[in-house]
Amino acid sequence: MRLFLGQRAWVLQRVTALVLLFLLALGAATLLTGPPLDYERWHALATSTHGAVLIVVFFAALGLHGWIGVRDIALDYIHAPMLRLALLAVVGVLLFAIVIRVVLTMAAHFAGGA
Amino acid sequence: MRLSIYRFNPETDLKPRMQDYELAPEAGDKKLLDALMRLKTIDDSLSFRRSCREGVCGSDAMNINGRNGLACLTPLVGLKEPVVLRPLPGFPVIRDLIVDMTQFFAHYHSIKPYLINDTVPPERERLQSPAEREKLNGLYECILCACCSSFCPSFWWNPDKFIGPAGLLQAYRFISDSRDTATAERLAYLDDVYRLFRCRTIMNCTEVCPKGLSPSHAIERIRQALVRESS
Repeated sequence: MRLFLGQRAWVLQRVTALVLLFLLALGAATLLTGPPLDYERWHALATSTHGAVLIVVFFAALGLHGWIGVRDIALDYIHAPMLRLALLAVVGVLLFAIVIRVVLTMAAHFAGGA
Repeated sequence: MRLSIYRFNPETDLKPRMQDYELAPEAGDKKLLDALMRLKTIDDSLSFRRSCREGVCGSDAMNINGRNGLACLTPLVGLKEPVVLRPLPGFPVIRDLIVDMTQFFAHYHSIKPYLINDTVPPERERLQSPAEREKLNGLYECILCACCSSFCPSFWWNPDKFIGPAGLLQAYRFISDSRDTATAERLAYLDDVYRLFRCRTIMNCTEVCPKGLSPSHAIERIRQALVRESS
């Protein structure tokens, strides 16, 4: 897949790192300011339209960033092609499942109108 | 002074061993290479490369007390004893401190280390402005001693595919040369998951370069050039 070769993967890794850094800082700033963090406030933040979108973006960036990182480690250390392919497939499916789970959870919440 | 030196003769030894030496340096012995040359008069079976003895040829690169360097540039004063000398890490050993650099130079040749310019040559020479010439400083001085590549973990992991810091520094030397017209082709060749992007910015290369160059900086500039080229 050309998308994950050479400089594209390298750029994607850095772009997703910046997205994660920004969202982590935004999350920390949001949680550290305002009223004390209880369940109601946490729920309200996570289920607001902005909050839900940012959470999905965060996990999507995390999945992509994590997979490229694991791919880099595999390229360095695992030289058997089939073993490397299997590891990358397993990690890819796991990370993708996490992102899909987050998307489905958010979608279910908004579909339910809660 | 005491030395502990890696010895391996493929004709007689099944595996390498460390051999201890006691040596009394004489007044003129200032550098580690002087000590090795004196040692050679005592034990002529000890093998190592050397030529210019002044940090220009890069022949006597070796691992000195766990750190790559040139024996001819390493002062005897201040060396922790016993001075442990090993061949360059990650390179196949031919004998004692002599390593096989075939692959290292294959990587070097792969980046086409010469000016490529298909335009009609001028009558005298292709001129550069002082600013254009300035860009080559910190790049052209590389003597290909392999201290950097041999100290790079990414090179240890993929020595057959990763060009390594020395080759990439040389690649950037031609990419940044105003007289070269093959920048796009050079960048396209380097845009590979192994050739360039195995570099993990560990920066051992910059740390050990005996000429004070910064291959990691050159690698970063190649990456930036690639991004500019594709945007």
